[in-house]
Amino acid sequence: MYFLPAIGVALADTGHTIQRTIAPPPPSGGVSASTQTPQPTAAAPGQPFTVLLLGSDNDAKFSSDHVLTQSMILARVDPTTGHVVMLSIPRDLFVPLAGGGTDKIDKAYSNGGASAAVTTVERDFGVHVDHYAWIGLLGLVKLIDKVGGIDVVTSNPVLDDFYPADISGSNPYAYERVAVLPGPQHLDGIHALEYVRSRHGDLRSDFGRSQRQQQVLLALRAKAKLLGIADLPDIADAMANDFSTDMSIPQVAGLLPIASNVTLSNVQQVILAPPYSSSAQVGAQDVLLPNWNLILPEVHKFFPLV
Amino acid sequence: MRRALTTLLLLVLMAGFGFGVNRFLGTKRHAQSAQTVVAVPSQTKPAFVLPGTLYLTQHGTLYRLNGGVFTDLHLPATGTWMQPSTVPGSQSIVAVLRNSAYSDLYLIGGWGQVIRKLTDNAISTSTIQFNHWVYWPRVAADGSTIYVSYDSPKTSDSYRVDFAVWTGMLTSKPTARELTVPYQYTGGDVQATPLANGQVLYAKYQISGANVFSRIALQTRPLALPVFLTAIDDDCSQPAVSPDQTQVAMICEGGTGLQGTRLEVASLTGTKLGTPRLLVDNCLCAAPAWAPDGSGLVYDAPADSTGHFQLWWIAGAAGPAPKLPKEVTTSLDLDALSPAAWLSNQ
Repeated sequence: MYFLPAIGVALADTGHTIQRTIAPPPPSGGVSASTQTPQPTAAAPGQPFTVLLLGSDNDAKFSSDHVLTQSMILARVDPTTGHVVMLSIPRDLFVPLAGGGTDKIDKAYSNGGASAAVTTVERDFGVHVDHYAWIGLLGLVKLIDKVGGIDVVTSNPVLDDFYPADISGSNPYAYERVAVLPGPQHLDGIHALEYVRSRHGDLRSDFGRSQRQQQVLLALRAKAKLLGIADLPDIADAMANDFSTDMSIPQVAGLLPIASNVTLSNVQQVILAPPYSSSAQVGAQDVLLPNWNLILPEVHKFFPLV
Repeated sequence: MRRALTTLLLLVLMAGFGFGVNRFLGTKRHAQSAQTVVAVPSQTKPAFVLPGTLYLTQHGTLYRLNGGVFTDLHLPATGTWMQPSTVPGSQSIVAVLRNSAYSDLYLIGGWGQVIRKLTDNAISTSTIQFNHWVYWPRVAADGSTIYVSYDSPKTSDSYRVDFAVWTGMLTSKPTARELTVPYQYTGGDVQATPLANGQVLYAKYQISGANVFSRIALQTRPLALPVFLTAIDDDCSQPAVSPDQTQVAMICEGGTGLQGTRLEVASLTGTKLGTPRLLVDNCLCAAPAWAPDGSGLVYDAPADSTGHFQLWWIAGAAGPAPKLPKEVTTSLDLDALSPAAWLSNQ
């Protein structure tokens, strides 16, 4: 029996569990958002919970602790009913940040890590976040490869002549051409990443990309049916430094049956396209201005108020 | 001695415990692994023999399936081979060779000899956006007019890359003339299928609201407005015209939230499609291709949750009482973006 604690520690280690500690942000200097720090209380087992999914370009262009979040998806999961709501938060949304000042929301993580991203979302959207999970570029590639690829009905030809060649090449600022052809197909990690990351050739720009990201998440949900708890350490190990979460291995394992039981008719997808946001220029930046009068009532239909 | 025995006993216990833990954790793995072994087509046998010769692709390699035997064509491994297509009146095929920044067309003999490179789309290594993609080649019944999807010439100061349908001569310039006008920043027009009357069926992508859809469109004249044959909400693409030109098989995604597809067949009369008949519902069906004698069609779809695409056959797909789908292959991982090119035996 003396092996058991070691096994427990090993499982926890391979899960790269990070206990979230939200430090009070510095004074926000005129920012209208509340400065009250939310308490990181996890939902009780079996109760509905909210998780913030974060995705970053963590290539060589950025120092490892200052990456932007190109993808932010707020998900509400009700384990009892199997109902899931996914709200994509546009990366360019111009909002008060938890660390002070107003900027694109993708900078929250860059400035203060996962805790700052969570606090920013909690304050701006008036919701409580129970957990977060962050994944880097290679983490997504490895995750998808580890589950044997995903089946996706790619929505249209996703063509991009300015796709960042920052994973394979030596110059992180170089470009490559990408052509993800339309229709049902089995995608490996690299090609799935191209599908969810490309945006230059899409009339809907980041909104189109958000939709594709949600689609790939649903495809991953289908793969959860093939996973058991013993697969998780392997997967976590493969993703190494490209994944972090405040959930423990048992908590993640508890999500597997939930994910596999979710039916598509029970999944609601929300994208904050116009009129929920509008394009504008602030300084030299192209940003999206939130229309809080429309956003907040919509968000609070699905996500409980703090 | 006693100490040695104690050590041995402890080692046995530790090994036994390790084995037990291993077995226990093994029971917690899901019975069906997400990772599966995919067979090489030329090392497998189909479940039954389809007539004629089919060309299929898996992992960038082209295979010939004839008499129940897969044969690797052993084409040069300088890229990804895909989308084989028949050349009417011959035993040759046209196929796409895809590289990282461009793709080209090749004319290939029935046993894999490269007859001719048909395009040269590697324009620039320094300004990569000047390179071109060409996909979905289809040769008309005359055996010499070819239709493809081609990304139009671009400037270096635009993000726009959309496919349009282009046409030309098979052995001179396949992309001589633009035939369709794609909607901008949608991905454009794909999967051209020439009809005997000179018109061309294809799938046209468009954005409506926050969503992107495809519609089966008919191009009656170069650069004219298309005639749409399907509604936007049906989200249909991949038209495959039966040999007698009276039926169109297609893949529709409407109402599935892009998580599934339907295989449908509709009659084609002039510029109208009849009410679609559902052949397979709630699937990941793709790449329909008719048998040369019109007796049925093949398509690709996964057979299990591992998601690898297999070849399926539906006899009597054009008629009022189609048979149930039959799985032709197992353990393969066919390229669902490459419909089978199917030649009759001559």
